[in-house]
Amino acid sequence: MENKRQYKFSWELLGNIAEGRPNMGNMTRVEVYRLMQYTFRDVMELAVGTKLTDQIFYDAGKLAGKEFYLHFLQQVTDLTDFINQLQALLQELGIGILRVEQLDMEKGEMILTVSEDLDCSGLPESGTEICTYDEGFISSLLESFTGIPFKVKEVDCWCTGDRTCRFHAKAEK
Amino acid sequence: MADEMSTVLKYINSLLQDANIPAAIPERLKDIDGVQTIDNALRNLRHSIRIIGDGDLAEKLSSTGYLMGTIKSLQATLRNLIWQTKAISAGNFSNRVEFLGEFSSAFNGMVKKLENTISEVNEAKALFELFFETIPDATLIIAYEDFKIFNCNHAFEKLMGSAKASLIGKSLSELKFFTDNSQAEFESSVKYFEKPESISLKLSLLGYPTYYGLFSSAIININDEKYILSVIKNITELKNLEDQLRKSEEIHRLLADNANDVIWIMDLTGKFTYISPSVEKLRGFTVEEVMTQSKEELLCPDSLALMEDGLKRAIFSIENNLPFEVFRGDIEQPCKDGTTIWTDLTVSAIFDKEEQFLGMLGVTRDITERKAMEDEIRRITELDHLTQLYNRLKIDKTIKQEIARSGRSHKPFAIILFDIDNFKRVNDTFGHNVGDEVLQDVGEILRTSIRKIDTAGRWGGEEFMLVLPESDANAAVVLAEKIRIKLREHTFAEVGQLTASFGIAAFTGELSAVELVARADGAMYQAKNSGKDQVATYLAAAKQPG
Repeated sequence: MENKRQYKFSWELLGNIAEGRPNMGNMTRVEVYRLMQYTFRDVMELAVGTKLTDQIFYDAGKLAGKEFYLHFLQQVTDLTDFINQLQALLQELGIGILRVEQLDMEKGEMILTVSEDLDCSGLPESGTEICTYDEGFISSLLESFTGIPFKVKEVDCWCTGDRTCRFHAKAEK
Repeated sequence: MADEMSTVLKYINSLLQDANIPAAIPERLKDIDGVQTIDNALRNLRHSIRIIGDGDLAEKLSSTGYLMGTIKSLQATLRNLIWQTKAISAGNFSNRVEFLGEFSSAFNGMVKKLENTISEVNEAKALFELFFETIPDATLIIAYEDFKIFNCNHAFEKLMGSAKASLIGKSLSELKFFTDNSQAEFESSVKYFEKPESISLKLSLLGYPTYYGLFSSAIININDEKYILSVIKNITELKNLEDQLRKSEEIHRLLADNANDVIWIMDLTGKFTYISPSVEKLRGFTVEEVMTQSKEELLCPDSLALMEDGLKRAIFSIENNLPFEVFRGDIEQPCKDGTTIWTDLTVSAIFDKEEQFLGMLGVTRDITERKAMEDEIRRITELDHLTQLYNRLKIDKTIKQEIARSGRSHKPFAIILFDIDNFKRVNDTFGHNVGDEVLQDVGEILRTSIRKIDTAGRWGGEEFMLVLPESDANAAVVLAEKIRIKLREHTFAEVGQLTASFGIAAFTGELSAVELVARADGAMYQAKNSGKDQVATYLAAAKQPG
């Protein structure tokens, strides 16, 4: 079954951008990214329904988080060092401004916010939290660092009328 | 309709502006479309703004909308700042605040400054710990009140033979660190002086039969508590040497103090630094009195000149690194009772191990008896036994001395040589014993006729010589005449009357003693040849009336 898969992800699938885009470079506009995501959502919702679409985006985010951790982050053992590194990277790559609000590693609970989020900041209010991809992405980053699976839920979102996305992360024991 | 709108606007304005608002929306406005929603939103906003204003960031803000979103964003920012501050408090200075305008740079600047300061403090602390641990002398910090060890260095651990962990928290008395008296001495040295003085104390330490430590202490404050910082230097070897030196000094002092000889030490300025008490027995003055005496009070004039000359030579030797010549001499010193005492003085130099000059060591010994014996011997060797006048040897010596003195002072002196006329007949007629008595009588006549400064002696047989300092020929003639008459008028036992013939010679600058005596002798024979019982003077060679 595995052998028959056509789209199994690997970092190589992202291609050699320097070679492929010597003039255009490595940057594109946020609209292009969002155009792809929200057209996917539209088509996918029609195909599999809203709930499953959200789940697919969560899982895709998890896969992305895992690969991102492996290819972008340096191995550190201190949590603050990890957060600092992640903050700098997300800012540099234009993904968003990550901040920690609360951290209780004994309880395995964390509240993070992402401002100027790539996925949702500036979107019209829809009344629902839209950043399911981010939820999976963050959950996978935390799991990669701690070795413990985390469940991440967005509790505030631009789309629910908030100015920053707030994520509640809880370790799954 | 306008009234209704006005009421709604007033109510909304009240929700926005007033501190006190109705607990719930007024009944008459409930049914107006949309007012309930605005009421809920504004009440949520009021609540959220108030709790964040009060510093309560824990509450979950549930409403949505642009304004609520902005408030939530503010809440998120403040929560993040709290988290960052906690991280910084825990020692992590890697956090940075971004996108908060001037606050970001102010906060990050503060964090950087704090990080640098703490880094400097840590470096200073590490440096201090390095110093503290590597001080070669045992060093400890103890609580001021109960002397419990707060910290100690490696050298102290080594001294105690225990690890720091087992020493910290224990009091010095618990560790039996001091001997009984030392603990009290240490306590008084650190507690009763504003600045503790260095003090050497005996310690009771395992593995050390005797251990003396020199304590240099200071009072320090740690977290508003008083502590004592002490550095302990091992001075056991030094102390033992001191003891040996003290004992040696005591023995030497004992010897010096109890010796009959006076032992003293003088510096190159001529000031005594030590005098043994035996000086009181010797001169009657106490040590304290002698210490303050002038050199004129210490020594009789001739001895002072001798001593000053010796001191001058000693200073020259020391200042020019020449060998110190040991001084020996007989010195006359005044005593408290007005008499003088003769002493034998030996002065040598004393140097330390590094050949540094320390002073002159003198030993003064009473030689009164020896001096008296010497005087007696001299007297015996210079006297004529029969007449108790000086003998020829002494007269010869006196003439030479007078020649020398006259040469210096250019003052005249003269001699008288006389011979008893016909003395051979006395011996032949009355025997030698009577002759001897005659000579003794002549001696007595001379003694009673001359000045103190004159010298009378028996020149040989029946010849006598007088040496007259500061006298010319005329003065000598006067004296000779006086004696000639005394002799002629004297009645000698058994013999009766006798006369004598006198020859006088005055010294002039070119004469030797032999020549001078020869002149007197010549004059005397001239007197003899001219009839005896008369005085003749050389040069003048005139016959004096009888």
